[in-house]
Amino acid sequence: MSSESRARIMARVRSSCAGNDAATIERELAGLGVAPAAQAPHEDSCVTFMVNVLRNQGTLDVAADRSTAVKLIGNYLYQHYRSHRLVAGNDPRLAAMPWRDGGVLPRFGEIEEGEQIALSYARWGLAETGATVFFTGKRNPSRNNLLPEHHLVLVDADTLLPDLESLWREVNTAIANGSRPRGIHCIAGPSSTGDIEGQIVYGAHGPRAWHVILMGNVSPEQQEAARALHAGKTGPAPA
Amino acid sequence: MEQHSQQFKENAANALADAGGVAQRDILALFTPIMRDAAVAEFGPYEALRQHVKRVRQHSLDNLDYYLARFELEATNNGNQVHYADSADEMNSIVLDICQQHGARKVAKGKSMVTEETGLNDYLQRGGLQVMETDLGEYIVQQAGETPSHIVGPALHKTRDQIRELFLDKHDLGERELESISDLVGEARVVLRDHFLQAEVGIIGSNALIAENGYSMLVTNEGNGDLCANLPNVLIICTTLDRVLPRAEDATAIQRLLVRSATGQPHTCYTSFYSGPRRAEDADGPLETHIILLDNHRTDILASDYSDMLRCIRCGSCLNHCPIFAATGGHAYGWVYPGPMGSVLTPLLTSLEASAALPNACTSCGRCAEVCPSAIPLPDMLRDLRHEQSVEKITPASWRQGLRLHAWLACRPGLYQFLTGIGIAVMHRIGRKKGGFRSLPLAGGWTSKRDFPSPQGKTFMQQYRQRSRSNEQ
Ligand code: SF4
Repeated sequence: MSSESRARIMARVRSSCAGNDAATIERELAGLGVAPAAQAPHEDSCVTFMVNVLRNQGTLDVAADRSTAVKLIGNYLYQHYRSHRLVAGNDPRLAAMPWRDGGVLPRFGEIEEGEQIALSYARWGLAETGATVFFTGKRNPSRNNLLPEHHLVLVDADTLLPDLESLWREVNTAIANGSRPRGIHCIAGPSSTGDIEGQIVYGAHGPRAWHVILMGNVSPEQQEAARALHAGKTGPAPA
Repeated sequence: MEQHSQQFKENAANALADAGGVAQRDILALFTPIMRDAAVAEFGPYEALRQHVKRVRQHSLDNLDYYLARFELEATNNGNQVHYADSADEMNSIVLDICQQHGARKVAKGKSMVTEETGLNDYLQRGGLQVMETDLGEYIVQQAGETPSHIVGPALHKTRDQIRELFLDKHDLGERELESISDLVGEARVVLRDHFLQAEVGIIGSNALIAENGYSMLVTNEGNGDLCANLPNVLIICTTLDRVLPRAEDATAIQRLLVRSATGQPHTCYTSFYSGPRRAEDADGPLETHIILLDNHRTDILASDYSDMLRCIRCGSCLNHCPIFAATGGHAYGWVYPGPMGSVLTPLLTSLEASAALPNACTSCGRCAEVCPSAIPLPDMLRDLRHEQSVEKITPASWRQGLRLHAWLACRPGLYQFLTGIGIAVMHRIGRKKGGFRSLPLAGGWTSKRDFPSPQGKTFMQQYRQRSRSNEQ
């Protein structure tokens, strides 16, 4: 029985533990300090984010405004699928995009069989890992992140966070405000596998391609710095 | 899972007789350390991170009663059903009960060494369920009727040709080309996609459980674990109680260490955190979520001198750096966990008798301890296990007598040096012409594989004294 097992297991755990009170434990924990983060390839978080997206085998577009972003999305769809259609979550920010500017025909909701391209609006971009971060929910159904062949992601440049600790500060605030997400997805690249002879193949189960559109004030110098850093060195491969 | 650790030596001999397998393992043993080293160097303050995580993990284990209760409370408040399982059988029966309550027929499973440990697949299949492994490596070994050979890359012992034959045999898809590795991955994708969409229950493991908010962390490259966690109506997380960490940032600190040590990547494609079942405001996700916390001797380990082993984050780095693992491969170890971590864990999770060969499968080179991101003193633990074997008389009597004689001599340095001096002088005299010995009494194990070089005439201590004297003059 699980409840009897619980009692037995807890008794055994307690007999091996120091038996400190909560205040002592929390004080000791606070005294352990914080973990160091990875050294960034560039001091500018925006450049670091772009380099890491490219190292993650993502493709990257930069758009100064929403109209440009939609045009770039339209180009991407046409280039890869000779199509104008995609599926997007019920995110008001996506609903408000000027879709006609790019001739894009979005359908809002969850991805269905036969649909191959999904667009998501990331809550944050994470410079340390080059990940795009989502809360699962109506605005961002988890299937839209996991089932398409091509996953397109919009990220606002002013939502970029430097490291994992700053991400959790934001998430903890959301939880404290009563908006605990069911799932948090940090997506850093197309789905990949190295399970056969260690050779990397993209599109293991999830998207074969992951395309990030960074929207906002990103200077040509920042873009140039990111591309130069990426050209100098790409990230290691998964297994 | 059935244990065959007793046959380690036979298994190892068979593995070494397979030239193709040896070549494949040599390549892995060459490249995996290079990739890990590059990732560690690129990180920067790696040693500081390692020591930080070691302190946090130790603190979590020292206060596991507090953090376990906190995790249970938060996870329950999030809508999860939390179960405790004392033994492998109990975990299996909890999972089967949940599946049966929901009238499930198909189960999609993410990679989980814990469920390998409990033999969950066989148990569920005996209960009438169709269980499909969805991690590509796990899927391949499941289809082949084998077990994983590595805790991170379960099918790295198989060649593309073997996998091609396997898929042609198992997938009823007619005539087709399956030439490249991409073709093979593509075929598994198609076959498994259907299963993901049809499964009523998803089962995954957990890389960390976060006490402060009740979340569970999942780290994958393929995204299969996330499909298991999001598509079926019921999600079961099978994990162990030692995975609990105080804060979310502690889980991400582990993420930094784990992925670099495991694959040499800075991070995986998917790092996800799940808090509980779907609510009204969610578009999708499981309607019911269960978290099963398995003990299976972990509380015994916590109470023992081997509690450091509970810091293990299952990165597989010690396997990749172990000369024994490279030579024999993972199957030789005869149970779920191979390599140095397996040689410590297996005796602790099963018994010292049933795993007698494993603590001896070690050259004491120390590489595993050097690269272990959790700073676990693996060689020391292996030595302590060998000592326990000797005390409990599991070690053969001839070995024990030999070791006792050696210890007796080593405690008498004068006599030791005198006798070794004679031995070396005699061997020098006999062997100097040929330069080596084809066979030697008491050293048959050595000379069966290679010649024993003839000593140069004097022992180290004799030469040392000679040089010290000449330096003084
Ligand atoms: S013992 Fe250390 S190196 Fe080996 S799997 Fe565990 S954490 Fe990794």
